[in-house]
Amino acid sequence: MKRALLVVGALLLGVGAVSAQQEIVKERQTLMKSNGRALGGTLSAMAKGDKPYDQAAVEAALTVLDETAKKLPTLFPDSTKGLKAEGDYSTSPKVWEDKAGFDAHIVTFAKAVTDAKAKIKDLDSLKANVGGIGKACGGCHETFRLKI
Amino acid sequence: MHVLKRLFILAFVAAVIGLGVFWWLTIPVTVAASTLPPHTPNPGNGAVVFNAGGCSSCHATPAQQDRLKLGGGLPLTSPFGTFYVPNISPDPTAGIGRWSEADFVTALLKGTSPNGSHYFPAFPYTSYQQMKVEDIRDLFAFLKTLPPVASKAPDHAVPFPFNIRRNLGVWKLLFLDGKPFEADASKSPQWNRGSYLVNALGHCAECHSPRNALGGIVTLQRFAGGPNPDGEGWVPNITQKRLGDWSEKDIAYFLETGQTPDGDTAGGSMARVIRNTSQLSADDRSAMALYLKSLPAVEGPIRPAKKG
Repeated sequence: MKRALLVVGALLLGVGAVSAQQEIVKERQTLMKSNGRALGGTLSAMAKGDKPYDQAAVEAALTVLDETAKKLPTLFPDSTKGLKAEGDYSTSPKVWEDKAGFDAHIVTFAKAVTDAKAKIKDLDSLKANVGGIGKACGGCHETFRLKI
Repeated sequence: MHVLKRLFILAFVAAVIGLGVFWWLTIPVTVAASTLPPHTPNPGNGAVVFNAGGCSSCHATPAQQDRLKLGGGLPLTSPFGTFYVPNISPDPTAGIGRWSEADFVTALLKGTSPNGSHYFPAFPYTSYQQMKVEDIRDLFAFLKTLPPVASKAPDHAVPFPFNIRRNLGVWKLLFLDGKPFEADASKSPQWNRGSYLVNALGHCAECHSPRNALGGIVTLQRFAGGPNPDGEGWVPNITQKRLGDWSEKDIAYFLETGQTPDGDTAGGSMARVIRNTSQLSADDRSAMALYLKSLPAVEGPIRPAKKG
């Protein structure tokens, strides 16, 4: 009886651990989606001229990107390696095989956001600096994101 | 007995004639230097052709940042085997330093190498055959200005029977029509420029179209996306079926920055493509957008359900 309880308990713990890992995968996707909205829906939309320039919205979008940049290093623990994600994309195993290369991309992204925060004051400086953020996104997606 | 012997001789003669016809039909076509008109190459235009043609997407030495180091070596996997992209830097032994201009024109227009064999169509000459000869000659002049890279790319790992290059002569009969680019007089010069950039130079259809069992593009579903020819995943449909809610500005902005209207960014091999299109003039990107926006909506192949 005791043993059975132990086994059940261990299994439950295991299930709990797995779903906690799955939560991390979900959180990544949620953050990336909000990044997309900040970049595509706000910053790039203004740079393209689809939306009028709005300093408050720019700052809000950059804050979203900045928070993501700070969280990213914690969102790819070894325990999430090989976990499947829902949707069109998944994480490449290279994230863990080339940890240093992957981390370097996060640093590049964080720097692009910090630079943008310091420099974007009006439409012209937005146009000049928003590209750096997109480039950082693409630089990482080229190697570390897989289409499924 | 007599009849059998006759039959045997007949079969033998038929086989010899068949082989002869095969040999004749599959002779690699070349362009003779004497047919090229006088031309003063313009390496500046060659640089534009280089960027629009996406040469460095495949030919740049992998795992380094300089897109002008064309040492090759990138593996391209396919159902027919793995191709290793060759070195096209001006190095005399590892690259194309000893090629004549006619060799280069022949390679791009006819898919034939300087030693007279067929190239595998992993090299998209089915698109490049539409290039203007002046553009090819300018491109050749531009490539000559780039740094030589001494590393030789590995040999292709393509198993029998696909490794018999002579057979590609038949493939070319089926899928290489030899037609040069023809401007559509009913459309604007900008649309025609876009069509030339997308079809001849950009060779977008080479990845963004489904292929049949022989590896030829399914003409009716050109640009309608399909399975990734180089690995996992799905290449998106770029007709109005999928891009209907993208404006021309959205497409041009994507080609400049790699960003989609919803803020996603191009990944995988498209990231390399963007590194080239971002170098084009805004006018050229707008022309490509105008042309792509004019493609009628075409349903692509059905994407299989995801596993797991």
